[in-house]
Amino acid sequence: MPQFMLLLRGGDAKERTPAEMQRIVEEYIAWARRLAAENRMVGGDELAGGGKVITGAGAALKVKDGPYTETKESVGGYFLIQAQSEAEAVEIAKECPGLARGGTVELRAIVEH
Amino acid sequence: LIEGRPPAVPVLVEDLFRREAGRLVAALVRLFGSARLELAEDVVQETLVKALEIWPHRGVPEHPAAWLRAVARHRALDILRREAIFRGKEGAIESFLTAAAPSLAERSEAAPPVFLDGEIRDDQLRLIFTCCHPALSEESQVALTLKTLCGFGVPEIARALLADEGAVAQRLVRAKRTLREGAFPFVVPEPRELPARLDAVLTVLYLMFNEGYNACDGPDLTRPDLCREAIYLAALVREHPVGSAPRVDALLALFCLQAARLPGRVDANGDLCLLADQNRSRWDRRLIERGLDHLAAAARGDELSAYHLEAGIAACHAVAASDGETDWRAVLASYDALVAMTGSAVAKLNRAVAVARVHGPQAGLAALEAVAEAPALRSYYLLHATRAALQLELGNWRAAADSYAQALPLTRLEPERRFLERKLQEVAREIAGR
Repeated sequence: MPQFMLLLRGGDAKERTPAEMQRIVEEYIAWARRLAAENRMVGGDELAGGGKVITGAGAALKVKDGPYTETKESVGGYFLIQAQSEAEAVEIAKECPGLARGGTVELRAIVEH
Repeated sequence: LIEGRPPAVPVLVEDLFRREAGRLVAALVRLFGSARLELAEDVVQETLVKALEIWPHRGVPEHPAAWLRAVARHRALDILRREAIFRGKEGAIESFLTAAAPSLAERSEAAPPVFLDGEIRDDQLRLIFTCCHPALSEESQVALTLKTLCGFGVPEIARALLADEGAVAQRLVRAKRTLREGAFPFVVPEPRELPARLDAVLTVLYLMFNEGYNACDGPDLTRPDLCREAIYLAALVREHPVGSAPRVDALLALFCLQAARLPGRVDANGDLCLLADQNRSRWDRRLIERGLDHLAAAARGDELSAYHLEAGIAACHAVAASDGETDWRAVLASYDALVAMTGSAVAKLNRAVAVARVHGPQAGLAALEAVAEAPALRSYYLLHATRAALQLELGNWRAAADSYAQALPLTRLEPERRFLERKLQEVAREIAGR
């Protein structure tokens, strides 16, 4: 079955109350559980903040912090899912709980050889 | 990494984050000092964010509370280490370390969270006294208690206290500044200052409970979560030797007996249900029992507080099998004593209801009119609603209609508005039918 990577970018950075945070956690867990139960989940993990961007080569090689410092733009985690088609994967991505809080999901198909 | 099968994740306990936030702030304030309440709150926030980042991918740890405590502990240690005061505070950190659950790596095999709950309770008690410090205004005390001990956010506090979010945020900033500048020790007060400090704590809890019992504004008549928190904190105070005063038991008795009736106060449509009309089988028997136990405990010694009298009144209602079987004479006697003790206009108004039940609506109306001019009642919808109900009993439809109409603009609570509108329609039908 075709596989897709969902890159989750963090939503608004406003401070949340503990009750809201619990609700968010529960929404994500419910989503992840459902995907797993439907046998769509291949893998996924959280990504640490920060990271490095490496450019150039030889004398011009540069390592700098990045790629983004804005929470809004940084990839907070990814899910690797399997779906019959891109359309079906899009449907799954639409249910990502982060969308409701200003987050975005970038969907990329894994090329099958 | 989640494998391609459903992870065996337990469902989170309701209010887990809120409750743990309250516990963690208290435990961290012990490490950081009450001057650095903000730092403690930041660490708790970071801890919850960490759970948010990790749990969706790894599943919920077997002992979520222990996990949160372990993460908060690590973070606090980092901070203290970086501040190079590690050596000085080694003892405190050690006890925090042993108190917390095993390390994160071992979390799946972690023993049940035996995080020295007693120690956390002591920390929370210290934090109650810190938040209710006399250097802070009463409003700030309530706001700070809800923020730090109950894990309420600014929007929740604003809703609970009928203030706007900006004002609440400001109030909290100022309160923390006061604590910072005062550098008050994070301790339970000394015996000689304890009675007064304890009274301040009880006042804050009483205000919290009342707001939950009868919200001032909004779509819901009651805010059971506020009542629960007030009971939880009052019980914390009561468990500690410093809180063993009879009036603490009396306050807890009052809370339990009132909270027991919460499920009956609102019907299935969210409409207000008067005491006489409530389905008493919906009352929480367990809470009534607990309340009566506390009331019995409150009777030791010769202390008699307003909480004793209010709890006594609540007990009369809670144990009556029906409205008709209520011991209204006992209720009236308690209100007489309460009025004599406090002189409160609201107590006098409530007494008028008891007078009406014992001596008839005319006598009740006279008792009501005697207090009607009190400034505290001027914009109190219950003055007018009570007068209307008594006029209704006397068959004075027009007077009742006038009073209900006066009551209506004085409440911002939806269920109360709907109740008054229903009453107005009933009265209008009576008048039209005559």
